[in-house]
Amino acid sequence: VSFALIRPVAGLALLAALAAGCGHAVAAQHAAPKPTATAHQHHHRAAMPTVVPTSPASPASTSPANPIPQGNGGDQDADNNGGPSDGDGNI
Amino acid sequence: VTRHPARRGLLAVAALAAAVAIVITAVVAARPGHSPAQTFVPLAPAAAPTEWRHLTLPNGTAELSYPPSLRAIAGDKDAVSAARLGPGGSFQLYLNATPRQGTEHPEHWAAFRLSRLRSDDAVSAHQDAAAEGVKFRGGTGSCVIDDYITRVGGHHYQEIACLVQGRTSASVIIAASPATSWAQARPLLLRAVAAYLVR
Repeated sequence: VSFALIRPVAGLALLAALAAGCGHAVAAQHAAPKPTATAHQHHHRAAMPTVVPTSPASPASTSPANPIPQGNGGDQDADNNGGPSDGDGNI
Repeated sequence: VTRHPARRGLLAVAALAAAVAIVITAVVAARPGHSPAQTFVPLAPAAAPTEWRHLTLPNGTAELSYPPSLRAIAGDKDAVSAARLGPGGSFQLYLNATPRQGTEHPEHWAAFRLSRLRSDDAVSAHQDAAAEGVKFRGGTGSCVIDDYITRVGGHHYQEIACLVQGRTSASVIIAASPATSWAQARPLLLRAVAAYLVR
């Protein structure tokens, strides 16, 4: 087998392996437990806002700092006990 | 003569490797809880249906509307919240309105919200979509759709969070559900956001 044939084949295999690896890395950032919910369906006509582009590969990042104690800490509302986050400004 | 079978073999191996990679990528992307990038869903500001209930911020600057399947719940004293709770008190749907408290600004709202999540409630937060210049009843807002995993319990929520500027004041509306049920919950949550009234 000539090297002229091996090179493109090897390149294709490498690209395939990289594609699989990237897909796995993205999904690994989204481990997801949670209960289910149902909702009513409503349809309405839409007005177009200005869409801000979202970086396509922005990964879920972590922050080591947490000024609000968790486990019924902080202001003791739902988001300090594993509930959804409210809209306060963290002050 | 002997080169052709070898070439066919190598090509077959390469094709198989490519096919396996494609399948793996597709399967991983389709896993539950995975939130692919999405475009921002436009809002059509409109009054809530007549059977919906209303909560007014204590400072009187905004009104949160919620369907009868939710009930008002306690929260910060300057805010209002409503939720549908499941067995064991888990949150199925969540709405919250809070006056602007800090340095939130329409031009960097998405970054502010994600930073706030990461510094307070979440071990990770990921932006899914964002928009500025979103029309609301009585004002204009900036919105971000994101998902995050809580520090407590490791719960994965998805939300739309909007900073809405009215004539005299600004406030924040949050509409959230578990990420796994976001697709089902989103129409109702967006309906509540579209009904949000600011003054």
